[in-house]
Amino acid sequence: MLTYDVLIVGSGGAGLYAALKSRMEEDLRVAVLTKVYPTRSHTSAAQGGVNAALANKDPTDTWEQHWFDTVKGSDYLADQDAAELLCREAPEVIREMEHWGCPFDRTTEGKIAQRPFGGASKPRACHAADKIGHVMLHTLYEQGLRHGVDYFNEWLTISLLHDGKRCQGVNALDTRTGKLHTIQAKAVILATGGYGRIYWNRTSNAYGNTGDGLAIAYRAGLPLKDMEFVQFHPTGLRRTGILMSEGARGEGGFLLNGLGERFMTRYAPEKMELGPRDLVSRAIETEVRQGRGGPEGEVFLDLTHLGKEKIAERLPQIRQLCIDFEGVDPIEEPIPIKPTAHYSMGGIHTDINGLTSIEGVYAAGESGCVSVHGANRLGGNSLLDILVFGRRAGNHALEYARSVELPSMPKDILASAETRIKSLMEGESEEKLADIRRDMANIMANKAGIYRNAADLTEAVEDLVELKARYKRLKVKDKCKVFNTELVAALELENMLDLAEVVAKGALERTESRGAHSREDFPERDDKSWLVHTVATRGSDERPVLHFDPVTITRFQPEARTY
Amino acid sequence: MTEKITPVREKILSNIRIQRFTPGKDRSPYFDNFKMEVETGMTILEVLRHIKNTQDSSLTFRAFCRSSICGSCALRVNNKTVLACSTQLMPILKDFGKATVTITPMANLPIIRDLVVDIDPVIEKLAKMHPYLVENKDRVPETLEKESLMSQEELEAFGLMTDCILCGSCYSACSAVKADSNYAGPLTIAKAYRFSVDPRDDFRGMRFQAAMDQGLWSCVQCRKCIKVCPKDTRPADSIRDMRRISIDAGIHDSPGSRRAKAYTDDVERIGQVNKPMLPVIVHGTKGWAAIEAAEAGLKKHGMEPTRQVCSLPGQSGAAKIYAKVREIEGKKKGGKTNG
Repeated sequence: MLTYDVLIVGSGGAGLYAALKSRMEEDLRVAVLTKVYPTRSHTSAAQGGVNAALANKDPTDTWEQHWFDTVKGSDYLADQDAAELLCREAPEVIREMEHWGCPFDRTTEGKIAQRPFGGASKPRACHAADKIGHVMLHTLYEQGLRHGVDYFNEWLTISLLHDGKRCQGVNALDTRTGKLHTIQAKAVILATGGYGRIYWNRTSNAYGNTGDGLAIAYRAGLPLKDMEFVQFHPTGLRRTGILMSEGARGEGGFLLNGLGERFMTRYAPEKMELGPRDLVSRAIETEVRQGRGGPEGEVFLDLTHLGKEKIAERLPQIRQLCIDFEGVDPIEEPIPIKPTAHYSMGGIHTDINGLTSIEGVYAAGESGCVSVHGANRLGGNSLLDILVFGRRAGNHALEYARSVELPSMPKDILASAETRIKSLMEGESEEKLADIRRDMANIMANKAGIYRNAADLTEAVEDLVELKARYKRLKVKDKCKVFNTELVAALELENMLDLAEVVAKGALERTESRGAHSREDFPERDDKSWLVHTVATRGSDERPVLHFDPVTITRFQPEARTY
Repeated sequence: MTEKITPVREKILSNIRIQRFTPGKDRSPYFDNFKMEVETGMTILEVLRHIKNTQDSSLTFRAFCRSSICGSCALRVNNKTVLACSTQLMPILKDFGKATVTITPMANLPIIRDLVVDIDPVIEKLAKMHPYLVENKDRVPETLEKESLMSQEELEAFGLMTDCILCGSCYSACSAVKADSNYAGPLTIAKAYRFSVDPRDDFRGMRFQAAMDQGLWSCVQCRKCIKVCPKDTRPADSIRDMRRISIDAGIHDSPGSRRAKAYTDDVERIGQVNKPMLPVIVHGTKGWAAIEAAEAGLKKHGMEPTRQVCSLPGQSGAAKIYAKVREIEGKKKGGKTNG
């Protein structure tokens, strides 16, 4: 059996920061277990910036203003003590990243450069061209190599082990050999990212953002929080969901429906294409639902009227993305787009140190929910979240692991994982993985997506129960043990089905509209009944059981969220 | 006023030829052919996923971000290394004028299964290069109260290499790796260079040593890495620059650096390279055997060998260029220390 003091599951920014912090003094054995290679993680896709009130661009910026912006952006569902930590510690973590070599862009005085971002009252997003997530991720990986963090690359975690009180480790699959292993660990930090893939092809997320850490925590009896809150970005490419940044609309791009109408006149006659993300997403969805979409349920982002020169000069990267990923040159024709699931606000319920209800089990980043984003995340706060809370979890796990002995392990600890793999690998069935996955995505997008209502959500919950029954009959057709990507996809699908059900259930129960959660039958925010977190645990019938916890309010009383 | 939008979406029935191989099961790699309708907008990755979802679920390849930032899906299409996710198939079918396309795994790396190769050799070589910043105490503050100060120009000296996504495309295309599997490969040296010119770093000496040990001078500057890099990081340029700064730092004692120095010094001095003596200059006393063999050959054909070539008429022009380059470089350095 493999043994570590601190084991991190997931290798994005939160996981690598946590690993580095717990290995910094090089006295503990620390490993990162990841189903990809560390630098492949989805943190690398973040383009715009990471928020910190450094006041390099605007000397009047303060962390308190950042705090207020975050709470307001969250539609007052963020816990204000957690959001306070996020913003207060932001300058420190950014400087730590900088000291480790992160290549931030610079001001003329040589300080870290900052740019304005949506929902922020001051320019505080630190950037590195359009690849801030990529350079942060690489910096953390590089420092991990320096300090002797071990990496288990292309291993998939199957289950979280604990004795009801304290952490024991995980069971994981080495995908190269197809062998199962138990890794004993005093502390486990789950940092596996979000669950945007429950919408499958209608997401900007990587293929692997299947919420694995959340699902294994949920199955191990840990509660999930605020899962119904999923942020949609209005302009993803039709085929892949890859984001077309707001820059394209900022430069004067039009949104056209299939009939060629500039439909935003109906929804935001003043702001038109530059309305807030959620409003534009809902407008697009309405056009398509009412039959005014393109041939494949898309609408169009039209830049052709800007002319060749302006597009080539001002939007060269956007143009290249369209050519590479959609086969469309925006100089010649409108870009087909669809709203795309972008960020998961919900996650594993933790305290401000990332600690869960089990001693030694932590969660951080998009897979955790402290909560700092509440009902809606601000741009530039996701990268900050992974740094601040990855670091906090790493520090706390370090102290904890130093203070305890290795946990005792029951003999047959691998048995349930073996049974699970066996049941998927042995035998034949009519059910196809890709069919179940597509059906899940359709249920989620059509009934629990941008627009929600009681009738659709009730159906969605029922449909998902049926889908889970179909999944139970699923067999993996590829019987080879070496690098079996079909088996990995099947395990991921099981994770997603569990999470999709929690999302739909939470969305059904929450009879209000707040942030990213938009109910057609309850269009108003309802602070009297719903200024609470949704907390879901897995019931004995394997169905989610919900209860509601109060939101921590320390300074800012809820107000209307207007911009 | 408004006009209905009807996007042009072509379709071609194509034959996708994919190399398959499972070590332990198959004796050697073979090809499978898959027929499918390829439409405008489809990337190679979408084609692979379509085949996996509808025709053969055992087809094995890597993919993750599908937006060309994670570097998982590098492979070869009609023998050129590309990222599957950002490569449109339709234009390739049209360019080659046929409805068949061939997909194979990256070269120079062991195959794990089908299109998946083992990239650990690259990562292990990279790890030996000290690919991380080691704080220069003169530049990096002791506490987290402050950031280090660095100009945008200083950042841009290595900015290109921070775009590297470790996809391995350059390694797959590299002629030097093909000739010698011990050679570290383009991206690893380029990464070593990236940190060595970061003014916040204090470890470049160790990286020179690591790069020398792993073949800094093995690169033949064929520049294939520049052609295939999906992020345009120009690794061969970084390798050239790494060689230059290592010579500037006084590391003259390797065959490669001696050769480079002989070329540049000779051209300044006599307007051409004094080739007859090159073997000894590059390889030391071991070089005499080569010189004597060459001289014997010339004598056999009735020619009189020389050990000192003449000075060419263009020499004075070359010397002027050298002077100008020194002047410009001097200014640059002066500017840097003042800033």
